[in-house]
Amino acid sequence: MARAWGTISEFEDFLDGGGFVEPNDDMPDEYRDQVFRFIELHANSELMGGLTERDWIPKAPGLRRKMSVLAKTQDEIGHAHLLYMVAADLGVRTRAEMLEDLFAGRGRFHNVFHYQAVTWADQVAIAFLVDAAALISQQAVFKNCSYGPYKRILRRIIAEEGFHMRHGEEMLLVFAEGTAVQREMFQAALDRWWWPTLHMFGPPSKPDDVLLRWHIKSERNEHLRDKWVQKYATLLTGYGFQPPDPDLRRDPETGKWVTGEIDWAPLKATLENLGPDSARRVGDAAHHWADTRWVRDALEARADEAA
Amino acid sequence: MRRSALSNRPDPAGSDMQNEVWAALGAVDDPEYPGVSIVELGLVEDVRVIDQRVVVDLVPTFSGCPALTFIAADVRSAVGALDNIDDVVVTFVAEPAWTPERIAPAARQRIAAGFGVGVQVGVKPVACPQCGQPALREQSLFGPVRCRSVHRCTACGEVVELIR
Repeated sequence: MARAWGTISEFEDFLDGGGFVEPNDDMPDEYRDQVFRFIELHANSELMGGLTERDWIPKAPGLRRKMSVLAKTQDEIGHAHLLYMVAADLGVRTRAEMLEDLFAGRGRFHNVFHYQAVTWADQVAIAFLVDAAALISQQAVFKNCSYGPYKRILRRIIAEEGFHMRHGEEMLLVFAEGTAVQREMFQAALDRWWWPTLHMFGPPSKPDDVLLRWHIKSERNEHLRDKWVQKYATLLTGYGFQPPDPDLRRDPETGKWVTGEIDWAPLKATLENLGPDSARRVGDAAHHWADTRWVRDALEARADEAA
Repeated sequence: MRRSALSNRPDPAGSDMQNEVWAALGAVDDPEYPGVSIVELGLVEDVRVIDQRVVVDLVPTFSGCPALTFIAADVRSAVGALDNIDDVVVTFVAEPAWTPERIAPAARQRIAAGFGVGVQVGVKPVACPQCGQPALREQSLFGPVRCRSVHRCTACGEVVELIR
Protein backbone atom coordinates (compact mmCIF):
# COMPACT_ATOMS: atom_id res chain seq x y z
CA MET A 1 0.00 0.00 0.00
CA ALA A 2 2.09 2.86 -1.32
CA ARG A 3 1.66 6.30 0.15
CA ALA A 4 2.49 9.62 -1.47
CA TRP A 5 2.95 13.13 -0.14
CA GLY A 6 1.93 16.22 -2.09
CA THR A 7 4.73 18.47 -0.90
CA ILE A 8 8.00 18.24 0.99
CA SER A 9 6.43 20.00 3.94
CA GLU A 10 3.63 17.39 4.11
CA PHE A 11 6.31 14.71 4.01
CA GLU A 12 8.27 16.44 6.77
CA ASP A 13 5.13 16.76 8.89
CA PHE A 14 4.64 13.03 8.49
CA LEU A 15 8.23 12.39 9.62
CA ASP A 16 7.98 14.86 12.51
CA GLY A 17 4.83 13.04 13.63
CA GLY A 18 6.87 9.85 14.03
CA GLY A 19 5.78 8.25 10.73
CA PHE A 20 7.82 5.48 9.12
CA VAL A 21 8.61 5.40 5.42
CA GLU A 22 8.39 1.99 3.72
CA PRO A 23 10.12 0.88 0.46
CA ASN A 24 6.97 1.01 -1.67
CA ASP A 25 6.07 4.55 -0.61
CA ASP A 26 6.40 7.36 -3.12
CA MET A 27 9.06 9.14 -1.05
CA PRO A 28 10.85 12.32 -2.21
CA ASP A 29 13.86 11.47 -4.41
CA GLU A 30 16.30 13.29 -2.15
CA TYR A 31 15.11 11.38 0.89
CA ARG A 32 15.50 8.13 -1.06
CA ASP A 33 19.06 9.13 -2.05
CA GLN A 34 20.05 10.17 1.44
CA VAL A 35 18.70 7.02 3.07
CA PHE A 36 20.31 4.92 0.37
CA ARG A 37 23.74 6.54 0.83
CA PHE A 38 23.51 6.16 4.58
CA ILE A 39 22.63 2.45 4.47
CA GLU A 40 25.18 1.77 1.71
CA LEU A 41 27.92 3.33 3.87
CA HIS A 42 26.83 1.14 6.79
CA ALA A 43 26.73 -2.00 4.62
CA ASN A 44 30.16 -1.31 3.10
CA SER A 45 31.58 -0.68 6.57
CA GLU A 46 30.20 -3.94 7.96
CA LEU A 47 31.72 -5.81 5.01
CA MET A 48 35.13 -4.13 5.25
CA GLY A 49 35.06 -4.54 9.05
CA GLY A 50 34.22 -8.23 8.69
CA LEU A 51 37.14 -8.74 6.30
CA THR A 52 39.48 -7.02 8.76
CA GLU A 53 38.22 -9.23 11.55
CA ARG A 54 38.70 -12.28 9.32
CA ASP A 55 42.42 -11.55 8.96
CA TRP A 56 42.77 -12.08 12.71
CA ILE A 57 41.10 -15.49 13.00
CA PRO A 58 44.38 -17.41 12.54
CA LYS A 59 46.34 -14.94 14.68
CA ALA A 60 43.97 -14.60 17.65
CA PRO A 61 45.54 -16.02 20.83
CA GLY A 62 43.76 -19.20 21.90
CA LEU A 63 40.73 -21.15 20.81
CA ARG A 64 38.23 -19.00 22.72
CA ARG A 65 39.43 -15.79 21.09
CA LYS A 66 39.44 -17.46 17.69
CA MET A 67 35.81 -18.46 18.28
CA SER A 68 34.85 -14.93 19.17
CA VAL A 69 36.70 -13.41 16.20
CA LEU A 70 35.10 -16.00 13.94
CA ALA A 71 31.66 -15.16 15.31
CA LYS A 72 32.27 -11.43 14.95
CA THR A 73 33.34 -11.96 11.34
CA GLN A 74 30.13 -13.84 10.64
CA ASP A 75 28.09 -11.18 12.44
CA GLU A 76 29.54 -8.40 10.35
CA ILE A 77 29.34 -10.17 7.00
CA GLY A 78 25.77 -11.15 7.93
CA HIS A 79 24.91 -7.55 8.80
CA ALA A 80 26.36 -6.42 5.46
CA HIS A 81 24.21 -9.04 3.73
CA LEU A 82 21.00 -7.77 5.38
CA LEU A 83 21.92 -4.11 4.83
CA TYR A 84 22.74 -4.58 1.13
CA MET A 85 19.29 -6.15 0.68
CA VAL A 86 17.61 -3.20 2.39
CA ALA A 87 19.72 -0.67 0.46
CA ALA A 88 19.06 -2.36 -2.90
CA ASP A 89 15.29 -2.26 -2.21
CA LEU A 90 15.46 1.54 -2.49
CA GLY A 91 16.06 1.08 -6.20
CA VAL A 92 18.93 3.57 -6.44
CA ARG A 93 21.71 1.05 -7.13
CA THR A 94 21.71 -2.72 -7.18
CA ARG A 95 23.71 -4.83 -4.80
CA ALA A 96 26.09 -5.75 -7.65
CA GLU A 97 26.65 -2.06 -8.44
CA MET A 98 27.34 -1.22 -4.80
CA LEU A 99 29.91 -4.00 -4.54
CA GLU A 100 31.47 -3.06 -7.86
CA ASP A 101 31.85 0.54 -6.63
CA LEU A 102 33.37 -0.63 -3.36
CA PHE A 103 35.95 -2.94 -4.93
CA ALA A 104 36.86 -0.37 -7.58
CA GLY A 105 37.69 2.14 -4.82
CA ARG A 106 34.66 4.34 -5.54
CA GLY A 107 32.63 3.29 -2.51
CA ARG A 108 32.76 4.75 0.96
CA PHE A 109 33.27 2.94 4.23
CA HIS A 110 34.00 4.11 7.78
CA ASN A 111 37.33 5.81 8.37
CA VAL A 112 38.45 3.27 10.99
CA PHE A 113 38.76 0.58 8.31
CA HIS A 114 41.33 2.67 6.43
CA TYR A 115 44.03 2.01 9.03
CA GLN A 116 46.18 -1.00 9.69
CA ALA A 117 45.71 -3.13 12.81
CA VAL A 118 49.36 -3.74 13.68
CA THR A 119 49.19 -6.06 16.70
CA TRP A 120 46.54 -8.08 18.56
CA ALA A 121 46.29 -5.10 20.92
CA ASP A 122 44.98 -3.08 17.98
CA GLN A 123 42.14 -5.58 17.64
CA VAL A 124 41.45 -5.15 21.34
CA ALA A 125 41.47 -1.36 20.95
CA ILE A 126 39.08 -1.68 18.02
CA ALA A 127 36.74 -3.97 19.97
CA PHE A 128 36.87 -1.76 23.06
CA LEU A 129 36.84 1.73 21.50
CA VAL A 130 35.60 1.54 17.92
CA ASP A 131 32.80 -0.99 18.51
CA ALA A 132 31.56 1.18 21.37
CA ALA A 133 31.60 4.26 19.16
CA ALA A 134 29.72 2.39 16.43
CA LEU A 135 27.15 1.23 18.97
CA ILE A 136 26.60 4.78 20.28
CA SER A 137 26.04 6.01 16.70
CA GLN A 138 23.75 3.12 15.78
CA GLN A 139 21.66 3.49 18.92
CA ALA A 140 21.15 7.16 18.09
CA VAL A 141 20.06 6.31 14.54
CA PHE A 142 17.77 3.52 15.75
CA LYS A 143 16.06 5.76 18.32
CA ASN A 144 14.42 8.01 15.79
CA CYS A 145 15.00 6.40 12.38
CA SER A 146 12.19 7.23 9.93
CA TYR A 147 13.02 4.53 7.38
CA GLY A 148 11.14 1.44 8.59
CA PRO A 149 13.20 -1.43 7.14
CA TYR A 150 16.48 0.10 8.35
CA LYS A 151 15.13 0.69 11.85
CA ARG A 152 13.97 -2.93 12.06
CA ILE A 153 17.38 -4.29 10.97
CA LEU A 154 19.17 -1.93 13.37
CA ARG A 155 17.40 -3.30 16.43
CA ARG A 156 19.01 -6.68 15.75
CA ILE A 157 22.39 -5.21 14.85
CA ILE A 158 22.41 -3.26 18.11
CA ALA A 159 21.66 -6.37 20.19
CA GLU A 160 24.61 -8.11 18.53
CA GLU A 161 26.99 -5.15 18.80
CA GLY A 162 26.23 -4.95 22.52
CA PHE A 163 27.55 -8.46 22.74
CA HIS A 164 30.76 -7.46 20.84
CA MET A 165 31.29 -4.80 23.47
CA ARG A 166 31.36 -7.43 26.20
CA HIS A 167 34.14 -9.17 24.28
CA GLY A 168 35.99 -5.86 23.98
CA GLU A 169 35.72 -5.14 27.69
CA GLU A 170 36.85 -8.61 28.62
CA MET A 171 39.88 -8.43 26.29
CA LEU A 172 40.84 -4.97 27.52
CA LEU A 173 40.91 -6.24 31.11
CA VAL A 174 43.46 -8.88 30.11
CA PHE A 175 45.78 -6.13 28.84
CA ALA A 176 45.02 -3.69 31.67
CA GLU A 177 45.78 -6.31 34.32
CA GLY A 178 48.64 -7.80 32.30
CA THR A 179 52.40 -7.49 32.23
CA ALA A 180 54.30 -4.28 31.49
CA VAL A 181 54.77 -5.51 27.91
CA GLN A 182 51.01 -6.05 27.48
CA ARG A 183 50.27 -2.61 28.91
CA GLU A 184 52.78 -1.02 26.55
CA MET A 185 51.24 -2.90 23.64
CA PHE A 186 47.79 -1.59 24.47
CA GLN A 187 49.07 1.97 25.00
CA ALA A 188 50.72 1.85 21.55
CA ALA A 189 47.44 0.63 20.04
CA LEU A 190 45.54 3.39 21.85
CA ASP A 191 47.96 5.93 20.37
CA ARG A 192 46.98 4.67 16.92
CA TRP A 193 43.18 4.34 17.47
CA TRP A 194 42.19 7.26 19.71
CA TRP A 195 41.95 9.92 17.01
CA PRO A 196 40.41 7.73 14.29
CA THR A 197 37.69 6.79 16.79
CA LEU A 198 36.97 10.47 17.50
CA HIS A 199 36.86 11.09 13.74
CA MET A 200 34.40 8.25 13.24
CA PHE A 201 31.52 10.36 14.57
CA GLY A 202 32.14 12.87 11.76
CA PRO A 203 32.76 16.62 11.89
CA PRO A 204 30.24 18.74 13.85
CA SER A 205 26.78 18.49 12.23
CA LYS A 206 25.71 21.45 10.12
CA PRO A 207 22.73 23.37 11.55
CA ASP A 208 20.56 22.44 8.56
CA ASP A 209 21.72 18.80 8.34
CA VAL A 210 19.10 17.06 6.25
CA LEU A 211 19.86 13.72 7.93
CA LEU A 212 18.69 15.22 11.21
CA ARG A 213 15.72 17.00 9.69
CA TRP A 214 14.48 13.78 8.09
CA HIS A 215 15.00 11.70 11.21
CA ILE A 216 17.68 9.51 9.74
CA LYS A 217 20.03 10.62 12.49
CA SER A 218 18.61 11.67 15.84
CA GLU A 219 21.62 13.37 17.43
CA ARG A 220 24.33 15.70 16.29
CA ASN A 221 27.75 14.18 15.57
CA GLU A 222 29.50 16.30 18.17
CA HIS A 223 27.05 15.26 20.90
CA LEU A 224 27.61 11.60 20.20
CA ARG A 225 31.38 12.11 20.15
CA ASP A 226 31.19 13.92 23.48
CA LYS A 227 29.15 11.07 24.98
CA TRP A 228 31.86 8.63 23.92
CA VAL A 229 34.73 10.84 25.18
CA GLN A 230 33.12 11.24 28.61
CA LYS A 231 32.84 7.51 29.07
CA TYR A 232 36.06 6.30 27.46
CA ALA A 233 38.45 9.01 28.69
CA THR A 234 37.30 8.07 32.21
CA LEU A 235 37.69 4.32 31.65
CA LEU A 236 41.06 4.54 29.88
CA THR A 237 42.67 6.89 32.37
CA GLY A 238 41.13 4.79 35.17
CA TYR A 239 43.06 1.79 33.85
CA GLY A 240 46.19 3.94 33.72
CA PHE A 241 46.31 4.45 29.95
CA GLN A 242 46.86 7.85 28.39
CA PRO A 243 44.95 9.00 25.29
CA PRO A 244 47.42 10.64 22.84
CA ASP A 245 45.98 14.14 23.28
CA PRO A 246 48.17 16.48 25.37
CA ASP A 247 45.24 18.89 25.70
CA LEU A 248 42.74 16.35 26.98
CA ARG A 249 41.61 17.59 30.38
CA ARG A 250 38.73 17.74 32.77
CA ASP A 251 36.95 21.07 32.93
CA PRO A 252 37.39 22.13 36.55
CA GLU A 253 33.89 23.61 36.71
CA THR A 254 31.76 21.00 34.96
CA GLY A 255 34.03 18.02 35.62
CA LYS A 256 33.58 17.04 31.98
CA TRP A 257 36.36 15.94 29.65
CA VAL A 258 37.43 18.41 26.98
CA THR A 259 39.59 17.24 24.06
CA GLY A 260 42.22 19.20 22.21
CA GLU A 261 41.50 20.52 18.76
CA ILE A 262 40.63 17.78 16.27
CA ASP A 263 42.57 17.70 13.01
CA TRP A 264 40.07 16.66 10.32
CA ALA A 265 42.60 16.12 7.51
CA PRO A 266 43.04 12.37 8.22
CA LEU A 267 39.25 11.87 8.07
CA LYS A 268 39.03 13.71 4.74
CA ALA A 269 41.76 11.48 3.31
CA THR A 270 39.86 8.32 4.28
CA LEU A 271 36.68 9.67 2.65
CA GLU A 272 38.64 9.81 -0.62
CA ASN A 273 39.95 6.26 0.00
CA LEU A 274 43.39 7.80 0.51
CA GLY A 275 43.92 6.69 4.11
CA PRO A 276 47.12 4.94 5.26
CA ASP A 277 45.79 1.44 4.54
CA SER A 278 42.96 2.19 2.06
CA ALA A 279 44.60 0.81 -1.05
CA ARG A 280 45.55 -2.50 0.57
CA ARG A 281 42.12 -2.90 2.17
CA VAL A 282 40.20 -2.23 -1.03
CA GLY A 283 42.64 -4.38 -3.03
CA ASP A 284 42.28 -7.29 -0.60
CA ALA A 285 38.50 -7.03 -0.64
CA ALA A 286 38.45 -7.02 -4.45
CA HIS A 287 40.81 -10.00 -4.46
CA HIS A 288 38.57 -11.97 -2.06
CA TRP A 289 35.56 -11.14 -4.21
CA ALA A 290 37.25 -12.39 -7.39
CA ASP A 291 38.63 -15.42 -5.58
CA THR A 292 35.20 -16.59 -4.40
CA ARG A 293 33.44 -16.08 -7.70
CA TRP A 294 33.19 -19.83 -8.32
CA VAL A 295 31.06 -20.19 -5.18
CA ARG A 296 28.55 -17.62 -6.40
CA ASP A 297 28.56 -19.14 -9.89
CA ALA A 298 27.89 -22.58 -8.44
CA LEU A 299 25.03 -21.26 -6.30
CA GLU A 300 23.47 -19.48 -9.24
CA ALA A 301 23.77 -22.54 -11.48
CA ARG A 302 22.06 -24.55 -8.77
CA ALA A 303 19.28 -21.95 -8.48
CA ASP A 304 18.78 -22.00 -12.26
CA GLU A 305 18.53 -25.78 -12.20
CA ALA A 306 15.95 -25.64 -9.43
CA ALA A 307 13.86 -23.06 -11.31
CA MET B 1 15.51 -32.38 38.40
CA ARG B 2 14.74 -32.73 34.74
CA ARG B 3 11.88 -30.59 33.55
CA SER B 4 9.24 -32.14 31.34
CA ALA B 5 10.46 -31.98 27.76
CA LEU B 6 8.85 -28.88 26.31
CA SER B 7 7.23 -27.15 29.24
CA ASN B 8 10.08 -24.73 30.04
CA ARG B 9 8.85 -24.94 33.60
CA PRO B 10 10.40 -26.48 36.64
CA ASP B 11 8.92 -29.65 37.99
CA PRO B 12 6.29 -28.78 40.63
CA ALA B 13 7.58 -31.68 42.72
CA GLY B 14 11.06 -30.15 42.86
CA SER B 15 12.61 -28.89 46.08
CA ASP B 16 12.28 -25.27 47.14
CA MET B 17 15.93 -24.68 46.37
CA GLN B 18 15.55 -26.12 42.88
CA ASN B 19 12.59 -23.86 42.28
CA GLU B 20 14.59 -20.90 43.49
CA VAL B 21 17.39 -21.77 41.07
CA TRP B 22 14.92 -22.08 38.20
CA ALA B 23 13.47 -18.70 39.12
CA ALA B 24 16.96 -17.16 39.16
CA LEU B 25 17.69 -18.70 35.73
CA GLY B 26 14.42 -17.23 34.48
CA ALA B 27 15.93 -13.80 35.10
CA VAL B 28 19.07 -14.51 33.00
CA ASP B 29 18.59 -12.97 29.56
CA ASP B 30 20.15 -14.33 26.41
CA PRO B 31 22.94 -11.91 25.37
CA GLU B 32 21.52 -11.57 21.84
CA TYR B 33 17.84 -11.25 22.84
CA PRO B 34 17.67 -8.86 25.78
CA GLY B 35 14.34 -9.44 27.54
CA VAL B 36 14.17 -13.14 26.65
CA SER B 37 15.50 -15.55 29.26
CA ILE B 38 17.64 -18.61 28.72
CA VAL B 39 14.85 -20.70 30.30
CA GLU B 40 12.35 -19.45 27.72
CA LEU B 41 14.84 -20.24 24.95
CA GLY B 42 15.05 -23.81 26.20
CA LEU B 43 18.77 -23.61 26.97
CA VAL B 44 18.41 -25.03 30.49
CA GLU B 45 18.23 -28.82 30.45
CA ASP B 46 18.69 -29.77 34.06
CA VAL B 47 19.24 -28.29 37.51
CA ARG B 48 20.65 -30.39 40.35
CA VAL B 49 21.13 -29.22 43.91
CA ILE B 50 23.60 -31.27 45.93
CA ASP B 51 23.93 -29.84 49.44
CA GLN B 52 24.96 -26.25 48.81
CA ARG B 53 26.24 -26.91 45.36
CA VAL B 54 24.24 -26.33 42.17
CA VAL B 55 24.91 -27.93 38.81
CA VAL B 56 23.19 -26.35 35.79
CA ASP B 57 23.22 -28.26 32.51
CA LEU B 58 22.82 -26.01 29.48
CA VAL B 59 22.14 -27.00 25.88
CA PRO B 60 23.95 -24.73 23.41
CA THR B 61 21.90 -23.65 20.39
CA PHE B 62 24.90 -24.41 18.19
CA SER B 63 28.19 -25.90 19.29
CA GLY B 64 30.80 -23.21 19.11
CA CYS B 65 28.28 -20.46 19.89
CA PRO B 66 30.41 -17.50 21.00
CA ALA B 67 27.88 -16.45 23.64
CA LEU B 68 28.37 -19.58 25.76
CA THR B 69 31.04 -18.20 28.06
CA PHE B 70 28.96 -15.09 28.74
CA ILE B 71 25.83 -17.14 29.40
CA ALA B 72 27.78 -19.37 31.79
CA ALA B 73 29.16 -16.30 33.62
CA ASP B 74 25.66 -14.79 33.88
CA VAL B 75 24.27 -18.09 35.24
CA ARG B 76 27.04 -18.33 37.85
CA SER B 77 26.42 -14.81 39.02
CA ALA B 78 22.60 -15.09 39.12
CA VAL B 79 22.51 -18.47 40.89
CA GLY B 80 25.52 -17.68 43.07
CA ALA B 81 23.66 -14.68 44.46
CA LEU B 82 21.02 -16.95 46.07
CA ASP B 83 21.27 -17.62 49.79
CA ASN B 84 22.79 -20.90 50.96
CA ILE B 85 24.63 -21.64 47.74
CA ASP B 86 28.40 -22.05 47.85
CA ASP B 87 29.23 -23.25 44.39
CA VAL B 88 27.65 -23.12 40.94
CA VAL B 89 28.86 -25.42 38.19
CA VAL B 90 27.70 -24.80 34.63
CA THR B 91 28.11 -27.61 32.13
CA PHE B 92 27.25 -27.66 28.45
CA VAL B 93 25.72 -30.93 27.37
CA ALA B 94 25.86 -32.33 23.85
CA GLU B 95 22.61 -34.23 24.26
CA PRO B 96 19.83 -33.58 23.66
CA ALA B 97 20.45 -31.30 20.71
CA TRP B 98 18.85 -27.88 20.93
CA THR B 99 16.01 -27.31 18.47
CA PRO B 100 13.75 -24.27 17.95
CA GLU B 101 10.85 -26.34 19.40
CA ARG B 102 12.47 -25.74 22.78
CA ILE B 103 11.65 -22.02 22.63
CA ALA B 104 8.51 -21.33 24.69
CA PRO B 105 5.56 -20.24 22.49
CA ALA B 106 5.17 -16.93 24.34
CA ALA B 107 8.87 -16.18 23.81
CA ARG B 108 8.56 -16.95 20.08
CA GLN B 109 6.00 -14.18 19.85
CA ARG B 110 8.15 -11.75 21.81
CA ILE B 111 11.19 -12.51 19.63
CA ALA B 112 9.11 -11.89 16.49
CA ALA B 113 7.64 -8.65 17.82
CA GLY B 114 10.79 -7.36 19.51
CA PHE B 115 13.49 -8.38 17.05
CA GLY B 116 11.69 -9.21 13.79
CA VAL B 117 13.06 -12.74 14.02
CA GLY B 118 10.81 -15.73 13.33
CA VAL B 119 11.21 -19.23 14.71
CA GLN B 120 11.31 -22.16 12.31
CA VAL B 121 9.59 -25.08 14.02
CA GLY B 122 9.78 -28.26 11.97
CA VAL B 123 8.93 -27.59 8.32
CA LYS B 124 5.82 -25.52 9.05
CA PRO B 125 5.79 -22.23 7.06
CA VAL B 126 6.60 -19.34 9.38
CA ALA B 127 4.57 -16.14 9.41
CA CYS B 128 6.49 -13.02 8.40
CA PRO B 129 7.13 -11.10 11.65
CA GLN B 130 6.31 -7.90 9.77
CA CYS B 131 3.08 -8.65 7.84
CA GLY B 132 2.00 -12.02 9.21
CA GLN B 133 1.86 -13.78 5.83
CA PRO B 134 3.49 -17.23 5.61
CA ALA B 135 5.36 -16.12 2.48
CA LEU B 136 9.06 -16.28 3.36
CA ARG B 137 11.62 -17.34 0.78
CA GLU B 138 15.09 -18.36 1.91
CA GLN B 139 17.96 -16.11 0.78
CA SER B 140 20.81 -17.76 2.62
CA LEU B 141 21.13 -20.58 5.10
CA PHE B 142 23.28 -18.54 7.48
CA GLY B 143 22.77 -14.99 8.69
CA PRO B 144 24.78 -12.89 11.13
CA VAL B 145 24.69 -15.77 13.60
CA ARG B 146 24.92 -19.50 13.04
CA CYS B 147 21.48 -20.21 14.48
CA ARG B 148 19.65 -17.92 12.01
CA SER B 149 18.93 -18.02 8.27
CA VAL B 150 17.99 -15.04 6.07
CA HIS B 151 14.69 -14.82 4.21
CA ARG B 152 12.70 -12.40 2.12
CA CYS B 153 8.94 -12.03 2.57
CA THR B 154 7.38 -12.32 -0.88
CA ALA B 155 4.21 -10.61 0.40
CA CYS B 156 5.60 -7.42 2.00
CA GLY B 157 9.25 -7.46 0.92
CA GLU B 158 10.66 -7.49 4.46
CA VAL B 159 14.15 -8.91 5.08
CA VAL B 160 13.58 -11.47 7.84
CA GLU B 161 15.74 -13.82 9.86
CA LEU B 162 14.60 -17.15 11.25
CA ILE B 163 15.97 -19.07 14.21
CA ARG B 164 16.43 -22.56 12.89
